[in-house]
Amino acid sequence: MSGSAPVISASGLVKTFGKTRALDGLDLEVAQGEVHGYLGPNGAGKSTTMRVLLGMLRPDEGRVRMLGGDPWADAVALHARLAYVPGDVELWPNLTGGEAIDLLARLRGHFDRARRDELCERFQLDPTKKARTYSKGNRQKVALISALASDVELLLLDEPTAGLDPLMEVVFQQAIREAKEAGRTVLLSSHILAQVEVLADRISIVRQGTVVETGSLRDLRHMTRTTVIADLGRPADGLGRLAGVHELTTDEDGQVRFQVDGDHVDEVVRALAPLGVRALVAHPPTLEQLLMRHYGDAVEPRDEPVEVAR
Amino acid sequence: MSATVATTVPRRSRHAHGRSATLAGTGTLVRFMLRRDRIKLPAWVGGMGLYVVYIGAALPVLAPTEEDLAAVTPMLEQPVGRMFTGPAYGMDSPTYETFFAGGYAPYLFLIAALMSIMLVTRHLRVEEQTGRAELVRANVTGRHAPLTAALVVALITNAVAAVVVSVLAMAYGFGAEGSWLVGVGTGTTGLAFAGVAAVTVQLAEHSRSAAGMAGAVLAGAYVLRALGDMAAVGGSALSWVSPLGWPAQTAPYVLDRWWPLLLHLALAVAGAVAAYALQARRDLGAGLLSARPGAPYARPALGTPLGLAARLQRGAVIGWGVGILAIGAVDGAFTDVMADSVESMPAAVQEMFGMEALVNGYLAFLAVFTGYLTAAYVVFAVQGLRSEEGSGRAEAVLATSTSRTAWVGSHLLVIAAGAALISVVTGLGTGLAVATVMDDWALLGEVLWAHLNLLPAVLVVLGLCAVLFGWAPPLLAPVGWAVVGLMIFVGNFGELLDLPDWIASLSPLSHPAQIPAEEFAAGPLVVLAALAVVGVALGLLGFRRREVQAR
Ligand SMILES: Nc1ncnc2c1ncn2[C@@H]1O[C@H](COP(=O)(O)OP(=O)(O)O)[C@@H](O)[C@H]1O
Ligand SMILES: [Mg+2]
Repeated sequence: MSGSAPVISASGLVKTFGKTRALDGLDLEVAQGEVHGYLGPNGAGKSTTMRVLLGMLRPDEGRVRMLGGDPWADAVALHARLAYVPGDVELWPNLTGGEAIDLLARLRGHFDRARRDELCERFQLDPTKKARTYSKGNRQKVALISALASDVELLLLDEPTAGLDPLMEVVFQQAIREAKEAGRTVLLSSHILAQVEVLADRISIVRQGTVVETGSLRDLRHMTRTTVIADLGRPADGLGRLAGVHELTTDEDGQVRFQVDGDHVDEVVRALAPLGVRALVAHPPTLEQLLMRHYGDAVEPRDEPVEVAR
Repeated sequence: MSATVATTVPRRSRHAHGRSATLAGTGTLVRFMLRRDRIKLPAWVGGMGLYVVYIGAALPVLAPTEEDLAAVTPMLEQPVGRMFTGPAYGMDSPTYETFFAGGYAPYLFLIAALMSIMLVTRHLRVEEQTGRAELVRANVTGRHAPLTAALVVALITNAVAAVVVSVLAMAYGFGAEGSWLVGVGTGTTGLAFAGVAAVTVQLAEHSRSAAGMAGAVLAGAYVLRALGDMAAVGGSALSWVSPLGWPAQTAPYVLDRWWPLLLHLALAVAGAVAAYALQARRDLGAGLLSARPGAPYARPALGTPLGLAARLQRGAVIGWGVGILAIGAVDGAFTDVMADSVESMPAAVQEMFGMEALVNGYLAFLAVFTGYLTAAYVVFAVQGLRSEEGSGRAEAVLATSTSRTAWVGSHLLVIAAGAALISVVTGLGTGLAVATVMDDWALLGEVLWAHLNLLPAVLVVLGLCAVLFGWAPPLLAPVGWAVVGLMIFVGNFGELLDLPDWIASLSPLSHPAQIPAEEFAAGPLVVLAALAVVGVALGLLGFRRREVQAR
């Protein structure tokens, strides 16, 4: 992370679509060899950032460098060194998944045929099916397999797990760790904190087109708050006085519920232990909770949007 | 009071679980569809209205008295004329109204059919394919609501079209009953094809194949009607098999019979019933025709921008090519019928097909006919680039080390090659048919040559489409199709309606020599080819400079 020049460095990016300011003075730095989590709620500007990095969009203001080049002017040369997985993968309906994987990988340049087959196996993708029959998750697998089998330095992944089931998410996480071991740099966007947490070395949080926090998970611990629900044998009066504990409530049958700051979890767990814990549930914070607490954003309940109106 | 509530609520909800539940939300969807189509549908119906207004106004210019019409009617009365128009009822003593019904109304039927096919496909299959239908269905919307709503919208639109056409025809003093027959026939044709499309959207999983299947039914109906009407004045059995034959068989202003339109209504109802039955047997987003397993690996050719473009454009070239070839060969096979009737034809008709020999004029016209169909293929194919871009598939390719020039350029190259292939094959096929029926093998070369002679003009359309795609992509479809429409209009009616020269010269097909009626001239071809090349170059430049759009 030291010494070598950053793989991606953007400063003061502004991109407007009509009246919408999709990017509003965005700064982003991704170091060589790291998995960088790019976190933001829907509409924050993650995909727009990716499309600027790919030279599909030209920023109105600001400066971007990627892999030592200018994404707009040097697009073709840079693209040979990266692989991109769009957020909403659309494939050619009358090509099979296998054909699409090979096509995209060949257009990029070098790819590893054996690794491609192995990834098909691990992701349980049937490459003989026409793409028109694939679900969103399967289309995403096609783009992922093609990207991961390509011999590139940088992976740009825009919400790559949005359509994957939990089992496949584990496969995905393993594949990203392998990519990191192979020395690749990964920019991984998501609107779900928990997905990024397990993989990312560093995280940038984007909101309304601006990066509001950036740092390692440890650096961001102060921002996160875990919700704890515990069934206790003894009264929990002392808990409320501990540093970092908030909104403690106890109901009739002795169940306590509170939130604890990320950097005080250790003390709280110690204090719980002697209270006769019968059951314990801990929820990581959602990105929306986190943003609401720190920036007062309205919470929009839209994890997996399946309904339009109510 | 609480007792009332307790008894009514369960009764109402029991009702909602019954048959009406599958239709829940239909009314809302109808309003929603009408709102989404608030430009499209009025444009279609307005277009039909303008067409009636134009024809109504043009007929007295073409033939100042109704007696003058007698001079032009053989054009509609001859077998080849009947092939393009209809059974030629009342053409023995033509009037403005019968000439309108016999020569021009058939295009209204075609337009209504196309409008309805697109309407139904747009609201049903495109919605399912994009997943938007899932969003809608997740609400209080019954399984059959979207289908019902789309059919209701088709009914409303075709009813409005029927009234517009009828009223405008009557405004020219055409007989009331005949005018209503033309208008209502237009509407019921639309409804019948809405029924056909309602079935094809159940079969195919992809909107293009759904629209393509319905389009194939329409093309089949056209061919059957053409062959049927060619066989005899008043049509023959084949005319009665075709849904496009039925509205003509009402013989507006002549026999004024309504009952053939019942066949349309029966087809519409049968289509709707079949669609409901099929829909109940399939999952949302799925089609009933399932796909076979395909290749697990891409062949080596499918690893370059050109290979991809060829693969993606292949279907369109084959589909359009076969259709255009079939039409050309059928038309070519009627050259002897044309030749036989040369002596009996009046001067006005000879003028329409060119000044020299009528046969040569006819052969030149066949090449022009192929020319505008090939231009339509070009516009359709370039639009494929728009959908590649809008769907994000272009972005996936451009995010590899494929340059923008390589991506657009390879598509344009493949489309140009496709147009050339269609010209050659259709030229050969038509020429073969002509040479066979005329027993003169020299004609094969002439017809082929006539087709190739028009290729630069067709490629000008490609150049124009490239410029539009590079600089003003939203204009590609409207301007592209308008140009094709203009080419057809000028080619079909240009001399008949005595259009001003500048309008005729807007069609690239007006510039090359009318081979074999005229001598070959290289000048126009060089200019047209240069225009095409400049257009493509400008288009490539434009696409390099602009942003890649996504949803
Ligand atoms: N092509 C576009 N035209 C108009 N608005 C756009 C376009 N692309 C993105 N936006 C808007 O820019 C904002 C950021 O979008 P996006 O980058 O897609 O967010 P994210 O990927 O974080 O969900 C949103 O408000 C979105 O509506
Ligand atoms: Mg996004």
